[in-house]
Amino acid sequence: MRKTSALWALLMALVLASAACTSATSDGEAADSSGTTADAGTDDGGDDATDDGGDDATDDGGETVELTQGGGLLASVQAAGELKCGTRDALAGFAVLQGDGTHVGFDSDFCRVIAAAVLGDAEAVDHVDLETADRFTALQSGVVDVLVRNTTWTASRDGSEGATFLQTNFYDGQGMLVNAGSYANLGDMDGSVICVAAGTTTEGNVASEFERLGMGVEVLSFEDNDLIQEAFTNDRCDGWSADSSALSGIRANFPDGPDAVTILPEVFSKEPLGPAVADGDTQWAQAVEWAIFATIQAEEFGITQSNVDSFLTSDNPNIQKFLGVEIDGASLDPGLGLPTDFAYQVIKQVGNYAEIFERHLAPLGLSRGVNALWSDGGLLYAPPYR
Amino acid sequence: MVAAHHRKWIGDRMTQTTTDQADQRIAKMTDKPPFWRDVRKLSWGFQIAVLSIVLFVLYILYNNVRVNSQNLGIPINFDFLGQPSGFTIPANPLRETQAVKHAFVQGYLNTLRVAVVGLLLSTILGIAVGIGRLSGNWLIRNLTRIYVEIIRNIPLLGIVMFSYLALVLSVLPKTEDSWSLGALFLGNNRGMTVPWITGSMPLFLGLVLVAGIIAWAVRTWRQKTSERTGEPGREMLWSVPIFLLIVFWGAVILGNGLTTPSLEGRKVEGGMTMQPEYFALLVALVLYTASHIGEIVRGSIQAVPKGQNEAASALALSSWQRMRHIVLPQALRVAVPSLGNQYLNLVKNSSLGFVISYFELVKVTSTTIGNRSPAVPAYMLMMCLYLATSLVVSALVNYANRRMQVAS
Repeated sequence: MRKTSALWALLMALVLASAACTSATSDGEAADSSGTTADAGTDDGGDDATDDGGDDATDDGGETVELTQGGGLLASVQAAGELKCGTRDALAGFAVLQGDGTHVGFDSDFCRVIAAAVLGDAEAVDHVDLETADRFTALQSGVVDVLVRNTTWTASRDGSEGATFLQTNFYDGQGMLVNAGSYANLGDMDGSVICVAAGTTTEGNVASEFERLGMGVEVLSFEDNDLIQEAFTNDRCDGWSADSSALSGIRANFPDGPDAVTILPEVFSKEPLGPAVADGDTQWAQAVEWAIFATIQAEEFGITQSNVDSFLTSDNPNIQKFLGVEIDGASLDPGLGLPTDFAYQVIKQVGNYAEIFERHLAPLGLSRGVNALWSDGGLLYAPPYR
Repeated sequence: MVAAHHRKWIGDRMTQTTTDQADQRIAKMTDKPPFWRDVRKLSWGFQIAVLSIVLFVLYILYNNVRVNSQNLGIPINFDFLGQPSGFTIPANPLRETQAVKHAFVQGYLNTLRVAVVGLLLSTILGIAVGIGRLSGNWLIRNLTRIYVEIIRNIPLLGIVMFSYLALVLSVLPKTEDSWSLGALFLGNNRGMTVPWITGSMPLFLGLVLVAGIIAWAVRTWRQKTSERTGEPGREMLWSVPIFLLIVFWGAVILGNGLTTPSLEGRKVEGGMTMQPEYFALLVALVLYTASHIGEIVRGSIQAVPKGQNEAASALALSSWQRMRHIVLPQALRVAVPSLGNQYLNLVKNSSLGFVISYFELVKVTSTTIGNRSPAVPAYMLMMCLYLATSLVVSALVNYANRRMQVAS
């Protein structure tokens, strides 16, 4: 009898504790979501955004906190003073976790770009390392504010993962890495075993490409690249398929030297990689998108990290607007909810697109290719800032 | 109990009052206590309170998922099962254009494949280890002890990874230097291949069944003849060739053939291949589960009264006969409920195949989620399949337990 009641008491305590926690969070969320529903669809949200950008974002803490309750992610990121950016820890050139705890790479720098634009401080980023299969769940549940984790933009991810993809910052395509001299092209690979990372579009691309070629291959998928490398170097698989950019990085750092492996000439998919945010918050999506645009626009204007200060006195009205220079006592505020000098902060603290590319991807042997500015025959094009 | 206690206590205190008076007072005190003192009512109230809190928490959790997914535009239904899967499963016939439900079926079959074989092998190994732990032979006793103490104190994930990296990736040879026994066996890191039957499998299984029945009948007839005449029966000498002859000629008539493994480039053609990932997972699961089963069997053998063994010795049974006919039947009866737990664990532990790319249920689920199936319903489906399997295993174990109980 005594034992049973002790058990009951323990169970009760547990249940009460969990109920307390759960109901607290869910209450908060319920309030939040009802707030959002009320705002969404009406022009409330838009007005809020304008007001916010105009007066508060720069100083008044109290106002910003009040805005958080309105439901906008932009306001809550600004209130928190830190951007939670979903990234990864070991993809050469894109995001590598260093021994000192910092993240270095192309994607990591784009996290910094967004933080510089939204918060004015490129280092106010919490780089959250995510497994490939968990990344959308993390985005949906608000564990991260934005996903910059070389993620391919596809229709079904837009549609059923609850993600909104923004301006592509790297146009990639899938390739195949094989041992040097083993295969000359994809057509030779009938009956081979291909290793890929689990939970990616890579898996499906390999399947559909070989289906198209009428060849049968086995596809093994592993959770992390170290295990793929182990399987590949031990000849468990004949090919290693991933985005070409990632493969360049893998090849550059291959244990037996880059010449032990080759990347086949075929690129068999379109992989536009870009940042993604959760559906339903247009204001936040636009803020992130314009942070990316700023790096492209800066390259187009020829503004770099080192010469940005000299452009503050430029006579070009477009550049003045872009950098938030005051004209007749006021600087252009397009109402994005970003500080008016966000582009200046992005360039000053992180750099323009070309600089970020040269810093991280050029060392892997990648050339700009389709990732050049539109004026150089590439795909990068930023809408006018006015 | 309480009333008796009361009565004694009150009786001791009230030696002056008459027994009648005392009885009346006691009746007043014990007959109808107020509800806050009535243990039965209190416990009912308590249980209702707990139940309603649990239901409330569940409702909140469910509602959270529903509202949040709705806000994000993620559907919570099972329509995704009809969508094209978009991926392939190694050593399985799934095509990327086939629906997600086929992927789930094949993943589930892969889980069963490793679980069923794992159950059999780990039971056999476990019983052997359990007996070995009590062996009079110093070497066997200590080897099995070292095995048990090492394996059961390592997390299974570690064993699975080790089994894959050390066994499959390092020990199995590359295709160029495959192990080969002519047409009988071909082993490399693409799999282990043995000759296999071609043609219609159901027909062939039917044939084996028929041949088995006939062979069994012949064996019984030989036994009877032997008992009647006292001549040696030679059951095996009769039944085995008959079985083989029927199967051979039957297969020729039914059009079943034999494929033997051969290497074409890096691909193994023909025969039946055991996937390296399956092999690694099976080895890890069997080693791990058998170390636990071994301990259960050892304990159960020790639970059999010593007198049983001694009585068997007195009847001049050999040590093997004592174990086989006297001790083990009683020990296994004790072991069954605990074995059931190990079987359930094994079924669920097979999910660790996902780290080494063995496409069992969890791997398939996470792959379909990576290929745009919604996470919550997909995981719900996966959990229901595991639950159903576990309940079946549990029911079978309970059935066996009831069958083996001594009627009392």
